[in-house]
Amino acid sequence: MANHSTSHPTHVQHHFVDSDQQFDTAKMGMWVFLVNEILFFGGLFCAYIVYRAWYPELFTEAALELNTFWGAVNTVVLIGSSLTVAMAIRSAQKDQIEGLKKNLLITIGLAVVFMVIKGFEYAHKFELGIFPGEYYTYEGLEHAQAAVFFSIYYMLTGVHALHVIIGIGLIYWIYRRASKGEFSSEYYTPVEITGLYWHLVDLIWIFLFPLLYLIE
Amino acid sequence: MSEHNHEHHVSSAGQLWAIGTALLFLTILTVVLAKFVAIPPPFDVVTAISIALVKAFLVAAFFMNLYWDVKFNAMLLLMAASFFILMVVITLLDTMYRNDVIPSF
Repeated sequence: MANHSTSHPTHVQHHFVDSDQQFDTAKMGMWVFLVNEILFFGGLFCAYIVYRAWYPELFTEAALELNTFWGAVNTVVLIGSSLTVAMAIRSAQKDQIEGLKKNLLITIGLAVVFMVIKGFEYAHKFELGIFPGEYYTYEGLEHAQAAVFFSIYYMLTGVHALHVIIGIGLIYWIYRRASKGEFSSEYYTPVEITGLYWHLVDLIWIFLFPLLYLIE
Repeated sequence: MSEHNHEHHVSSAGQLWAIGTALLFLTILTVVLAKFVAIPPPFDVVTAISIALVKAFLVAAFFMNLYWDVKFNAMLLLMAASFFILMVVITLLDTMYRNDVIPSF
C-alpha cells in the first residue's frame, strides 16, 4: 500500500479523507441508529396511545399509583446528566481532559441516582402486587383492565431503564479511554456520539414523565 | 492544530447552563400546570405534550447540537418523528373505528 498517510493524524482511518469527514460520518451513523431507537420506542408509545384512547378513565385512575414527586426528581436528574454530558463534550473540545473526566463521572453518578429511585419505585409496586400482565394481583384499582396500564408502564420504563444501564456502561468506557489520554480537541468522536445516545435517553424520558406521571 | 479542522461548534458553559435551566423551569411548569391548575381535557394532555416538545427541541437543537450541525442529521430526526406519527395515525384509524374492542385486551 502506498504510504500517503504521513499528513494524517493517527486516529484517522485509511478510508476517510480527513478527520472531519470521519467525525461527520460517525455522527451521521449515530443519528441513523437514533432514528431506529425512536421508532423502537415509538411502537411502545403507539401502544400507550391506543390504550389511552380506548380506556381514558383507566389511565386517570391507575396513574394515581405513580408518585409524581419521584418522577419529577428523576426528570431533573436526567436533565442534569444531559447538561453534564454536554459539558463533558465541551471540555473535550477545549482539551480539558480533567474536566471531561469529572463531567463523565458526575453523569454516571446522576444515572445511578436515577436507577436507584426507579428501583425504589418498582420495589414499592411489587410489594403491592403491581406486576405486569397476568402476574398482577393488586386489588386497589377497580378497573378491569388495570393490569394493562401497568404492562405498558413496565415496558416503557423498563426498556428506558435498560437504556440508562447501557448508557452507564458506555460512559464508563468513555471515562476509561479519557483516562488513557485517548481524547483531545482533535479527536473526541466517541465522546460526541455517546453524548448523542445519552441525550436521546433523556429525550425519551421527557415524554414518558408527563405521559405516565402527570395524568390528572 | 491541524489545518484540516474546520470549526466544530463549541457551546459556551453559560449557553449550556441556560439550556439546562430552561429545561428545569419547563419541568417545574409542567408539574405545576398538571397538579395545581385544572385544565379541562383534552387540553391538559395538549399542554403537557406541547411543553415536552419544547423541551425536546431544546435538547435536540442545543445539547445534541443540531442547530449548528449539518442539516442532514436534523432531517433524520424529523423523518423519525414523521414516521412515528404515521404509525400512530394508521394504527388509530383501525383501533378507533372498531365496533368491539378485542375483549381480553
